[in-house]
Amino acid sequence: MSNSTLKNLGRTLIIPSVFMLGACCAEKAVEAPPPPPPPVAAAPIVSPMADVNFGYDSSEIGPAAEDQMKSNAAWLAANPARGAVLEGHCDERGTSEYNMALGERRANMAKDYLVRLGVDPTRLQTVSFGEEQPLDPGHTEDAWAKNRRVHFAEK
Amino acid sequence: MKISKNSLAGFSLALICMLFLPFLLRAEEAREYIAIRKQGAGRIAVVLDRTAAKSGKESEWARSIDGTIRSGLDFTGIFNLLPAPMNMRSMPGGPLNFGALNSVGAEIYTGGTMTKQSGQVNLNMEVYDALSGKQLMKKQYSGAETQLRSMGLRFCVDLVELLTGNKCLLFGSKISFVSTKSGFKEIYMCDFDGQNVVQLTNTRSISLTPAVSPDGNYIAWTDYTSGRPDLYIRNLATKATASVGKPGVSIDPSWRNGSNELATTLSFEGDQEIYLVRPNGTISRRLTFSRGIDVSPSFSPDGSKMAFVSQRSGMPQIFVQDLQGGAARRLTFSGNYNTQPSWSPGGDKIVYSSLQKNGEINIFIVNADGSGLLQLTRGARDNESPSWSPDGRMIAFMSNRQGRKKLFVMNADGSNQRALFQMDGDQQQPSWSIVR
Repeated sequence: MSNSTLKNLGRTLIIPSVFMLGACCAEKAVEAPPPPPPPVAAAPIVSPMADVNFGYDSSEIGPAAEDQMKSNAAWLAANPARGAVLEGHCDERGTSEYNMALGERRANMAKDYLVRLGVDPTRLQTVSFGEEQPLDPGHTEDAWAKNRRVHFAEK
Repeated sequence: MKISKNSLAGFSLALICMLFLPFLLRAEEAREYIAIRKQGAGRIAVVLDRTAAKSGKESEWARSIDGTIRSGLDFTGIFNLLPAPMNMRSMPGGPLNFGALNSVGAEIYTGGTMTKQSGQVNLNMEVYDALSGKQLMKKQYSGAETQLRSMGLRFCVDLVELLTGNKCLLFGSKISFVSTKSGFKEIYMCDFDGQNVVQLTNTRSISLTPAVSPDGNYIAWTDYTSGRPDLYIRNLATKATASVGKPGVSIDPSWRNGSNELATTLSFEGDQEIYLVRPNGTISRRLTFSRGIDVSPSFSPDGSKMAFVSQRSGMPQIFVQDLQGGAARRLTFSGNYNTQPSWSPGGDKIVYSSLQKNGEINIFIVNADGSGLLQLTRGARDNESPSWSPDGRMIAFMSNRQGRKKLFVMNADGSNQRALFQMDGDQQQPSWSIVR
């Protein structure tokens, strides 16, 4: 299984597990039990490195993305034992084969940028998922903007 | 009254001329069959008679084969299947009344009988030219009870070859495709009409872009079982599977006619370029040398030229390259996002998809020299991944016009667009081929 599949599996297991753990630890009361607490959404597992986004049909690192790249590079500098798999993704528009290649160009651009910021390239891997794994399944400009990304998975 | 020999001879001659004059006057491109075609008729008007059978089981089989033959011939789009006229036979089992057939406009009559003999099913079919009453074909098809569909389709092949004079490649052809029916994108294959769907991969990962070799021996596809998109090539008979195994992507395979190689996009040398790869996964040679994305190869039927998608002009456009050398020639100039080319088996047309300003993706067809651009789909959301039938008469494609992604088929002129079959999940990336 790929790292991102494991991560997705982890995400789907953590939330119900946290819930059940809480339920098990609740104290027994002599009087009528209090009403169950309203469900609290577990905090999503956030990678220490955040996604970098791209313009439509582009693999260029724009000014907004540059700041995030620097932040991600800083994390890698602070954690020399760790590395990253850079996953390139596209939005659903356009055709899937071309998007597979575009996703890879985004991942490679991000890797080159990190390397220019001083990260050792042997700590970095790239993989393209094209339009196969959108972050947001919606069909709006908003969703598409989120999906045009390089995701930095820790390794 | 005595009729003189001369006037009788003259009358007979006149009659013969009247019968054959239309035959002589028919347009040069008329199909090579000996019956007289009606003026302006595009399709061949056929009456398919019910296959006669004694009773019980045999009747059941006869109905089943009749169904196969009817839907098979209907699928081709070249027949007009007429209902049988009431007075087609003067009595059950009696001789055919060709006058009755002519009166409903039938050009061809087919009919047969079915018998069971020592475990074998025998289908005896006859084909007649309705105008002349001449028998064009008489043939027996035999097989086991489990082979009724195959027998019916064999008759369809023979009928089409008889009436068109061309080899018939439709009924034995297969369509490979991707479906999410299992919850994962896997590779499947079905018959030309969507029947007999078989699952070919069980990667529980992401499997994409199947392509069967022209000799029908291999299927190639990309999947993520290794953690990244790698290309796999499987021998359909032995199931032995090779992979390219290079870093980067190995995607979007397409076989080269006249060779045993396929073209695919590999990025292991730092850029997405198209390479020729052998069935054992080793690289034969590199075909493109242009910075930026080069993807989606499709070869001319003689294997000498390759259409492909390139980013070299900025946005993705389709180019054609001669494999002997020389610069790539740009094919598409209309619209700024043209991808997924597929070269017709006849070599004269290239079909592709175009992302339009209004957000639709539509299928276009153009002559191989770039002239004669025609739009085949419109107002139907996304229509992608066109793939020619092996006989060049039809195009399979993906459309989400009804909501989810489904496989559709249309005639090469864009007419008769219809869903191929009903299947759970999303279906996409059809690849139509002959499989031995």
